[in-house]
Parts: sequence; C-alpha cells; structure tokens
Amino acid sequence: MEQLNQLTEMGSPTSSVQRRTFLRQLGLFSGSAALLASCTLKDHNLPGSTVNLGAGDIGIANLAFLLDQLETAFYRMAYERSAGGGFTANDRSILAELHDHEVVHREFFKAYLGPNGIPMLDFDFSSINFNDRAIVFGKAKDFEDVGVGAINGAGPLIQSVDLLAIGGKMVSVEARHSTLVRHVLQDKKAYTIGLDLVDQYGRGWYLTPDEVVARVQPFVKQQINAGNLPKY
Amino acid sequence: MNLLNIFSEIEKIDSDAPERFEFTRRKMLKTTTASLAGTSAFVLSTINKAFASEADIRDALNFALLLEYLEFDFYEKALASPNLIPPSDRELFTRIADDEERHVQFLRMALGSFAIAKPNFDFTAGGMYPTVFSVYNTFLTLSQTFEDLGVRAYKGQAPRLKENRDVLLSALRIHSVEARHAGEVRLVRGLRVWPSEDQLGGAPPAVYAGGNNIAQLGINLVPISAPQMIQRDLPKATLIVGEAFDEPLTKEQVLALAMPFVK
Repeated sequence: MEQLNQLTEMGSPTSSVQRRTFLRQLGLFSGSAALLASCTLKDHNLPGSTVNLGAGDIGIANLAFLLDQLETAFYRMAYERSAGGGFTANDRSILAELHDHEVVHREFFKAYLGPNGIPMLDFDFSSINFNDRAIVFGKAKDFEDVGVGAINGAGPLIQSVDLLAIGGKMVSVEARHSTLVRHVLQDKKAYTIGLDLVDQYGRGWYLTPDEVVARVQPFVKQQINAGNLPKY
Repeated sequence: MNLLNIFSEIEKIDSDAPERFEFTRRKMLKTTTASLAGTSAFVLSTINKAFASEADIRDALNFALLLEYLEFDFYEKALASPNLIPPSDRELFTRIADDEERHVQFLRMALGSFAIAKPNFDFTAGGMYPTVFSVYNTFLTLSQTFEDLGVRAYKGQAPRLKENRDVLLSALRIHSVEARHAGEVRLVRGLRVWPSEDQLGGAPPAVYAGGNNIAQLGINLVPISAPQMIQRDLPKATLIVGEAFDEPLTKEQVLALAMPFVK
C-alpha cells in the first residue's frame, strides 16, 4: 500500500479509476493490495538489490524465514560437499538431518507469510571451507546459535500470541541443533551445552533483530533491510 | 492432592507462604525503601499493569522455580552419590547443576519476597525409581525426563509472561539453556536430540505426549516439506516434521509428572 501512495504523490492521477489505468499502463495492475505488495517485494530479487523484511510480526517472521533459508542452503551445500571425504557417515547423516529439520521451519514460514514473505534469497558461502569438518560444524554451530539468539531476542517483540507460540516451539529445536553440532566437535563438556553463551544467571544469549542481520548479511547476496522491525 | 493449586501444596511445606501471597497495590505503595530493596525489579516493573497479570507472572515464575529447585537438588544429590556418574561425564553434570543453581538464584531474585521456599524432594518418587542414585541409567532417565519436561514447562508458560517484556525475555533465555541440557543428555544416552513419542528412553510417556504434531497453525507441513528434504521417505519425513517443533505442556500436565518427586 505504501508503494501505491508513493505513486500518487509523484503526481499521477489520484482518482481510483485513473490510478488503475496508470498502474495497468505500468503492467502492475492488480485488484488486490497484497498482490501489489508482493510484486513490489519480489520483482527486485537480483543479488545486490534490497530486500525489505517489513514491519511488526511480518518483519520478525521474515527474519526467521531468512535464517531458515540460510541454514537450509548452508546444510544442503555442506551435505553435498561432504561426499568427498573427511566426513564420517554419521557426520553426513547429521548434516542431512539438520537440513531436513530446518526445511520444515522454512516451509512453515513460507506458507505462514504467503504474499508477505520475502523471496527465496541467494547466499554466498565462499568464505567457508567445506572440506574441513571442524569448520563446517563450527559454522553450523554459529548459524544455529544465531537462530537461538534471534528467536529469544525477537520473542518479546512479537504481538501475536500464535507467532510467539511458534517461536517458542522452534527456538528449543535450534538450541538442540546447536547442541548436536557442538557434541560432534566436543561432547560432554561445558562447550557442548553452550556455556560460552550463558550469563551469570544461567540465561542463554539473545540478539536484537539488527544484531541478527549484522551476523548473517555477509552470507546473503541481497541487502537486508530490517529497518521497520520492532525495536527494543 | 490438588495438583491444580501449587500454592496450597507449598503452604503445607512452608508455613510462611500465605503471607507471601497476600498482596495489595496499597501495601506495595506503602512499602518502605528498605523493603523495596528486598523486592525485585520485575515485580516493581509490573506495578502499573493489571493485577491479574502480576499474579499470573508470579505464579508462572514460582512454577519455574519449583522445577529449578527440583533439578538443582537432583543433580547435587547425584554428584554427591559415590560411583554414580562416571568420571568422563562428571564435567557435563557439574556444569548442568551449576546452570540450574543459577536459575534458582535468578528466579528467587526476580520474585523477591514472593519466591516459594525450596521443598524437599524424593527422587525415587515413592519407590518408583529406587535406583535413581545407584544405577547410572536410572539417573540418566530422570535427567532426560526433567530437562525435556522443563523445556515443555517453560514453553507452556511463555504466553502468560507476554505482558512483561523483561520477564518473557529472561524466561525464553533460560528455556533455551534447558533445551541445550536436554539435547546433550539425550545424545549421551544415544537418543535422537529431538524428542518425540517414538523414543521415550524409559521416561514416562506423558513427558512426550502430543509431541508429534505435523500441523502448525493449520498448516500441514508434511506435503510441503517432504519433497524438499534430503531424506525423503515418508515415515522419516513425518517424524522429522513432528520433531521440528517442541510442544508445550500446561502447568497442570507438568505438575502431574513433577509432584510425585516432591515430598
């Protein structure tokens, strides 16, 4: 709807009939504002272009959707490249399991967000050495821990009880994922249960939406705009 | 035993309890600075919100505190039991116990004068688990039970904390740590890191009941997820969909499982 307002402010006709004629000329005519919004968000998907996550609960859900897109793309690449050697059969199985669980999250958000969802983005994992088991599982740990921090941090900013419930159901799974990859690297230690991320009161870490974006932007080819998300 | 009223249970244990829960706004406003120092920032920050929300928050936090008392006492006793925990596993359970102690301290601080006192526990649950502190696998079964139960308990309380951002944030953060504990205990036992009804590990079935949902908010996730998976056989995909979301339990459901361990 904002886009529509911008078009009228640019001096185009303001009556609804004339607005539809104008939009039809642009090839953007649609009877539904949602579809119009989706055209605006999705038709600039080129790497380097900006992707706006939106505001409120939609913004938060899109941030989670983005993280799940990133994780599934990462695990898919890690799984495929682990075939070469340096990874045990169990390692490969774990990478497949992690991918598949994150896919469920990703598909949930895609369905939940519908036309309000960001498009499928492009990722750049060229900085990661996928031949090195410690690096791959270490990176998995980083992404899962960002997921935990993101949902913990976004939870109190969520308006809908339904979305909060979903976040709650997912964040413990992200924490389990982090534990699984930490266990692969070092089991039964302080490290394994993520004590590097826990404060003096036994509380795990949390990230603001902006902090989440800062951590994942290096791996995303599109420019993430989280400017309209709720803030603390 | 009335499982629905945790305070009545605690009153039997702690004779000071009724006064702690008698609360009026006027009494709070008249409290001296010295007394305020003993109350918590969280309680003070809720002073302008509806009374029902404040009572809800205190109730939810005291429920969490009961479970944290239980876990900390459980691990303390286990670590003190000779020859129970193998040397290779002691660091893990020492660290877990330390986390639980910190959770107790945090919740007591948050609740201030409203915090329930620590009850006494019987980790045999009246003789159901006689070898809890003599057979490692029995200890592990209960450790897994308490951690997975704690995750579901916190999750069930989150909606009640929604009106107080700080409290909700702290609860989510503690909840994520319990999930890490639960994950590692399960892995130490050779179980999948994700709980489901399919793999109880000797725990009571009720701990995992209702955990295999394949739909969330009306969205059936199997048909849209399975084709995207690496492991595409349908039974596995269905299990994975169920595992991808941890489900909450209500306070009543949790207490039904936890109160057998409270004397």
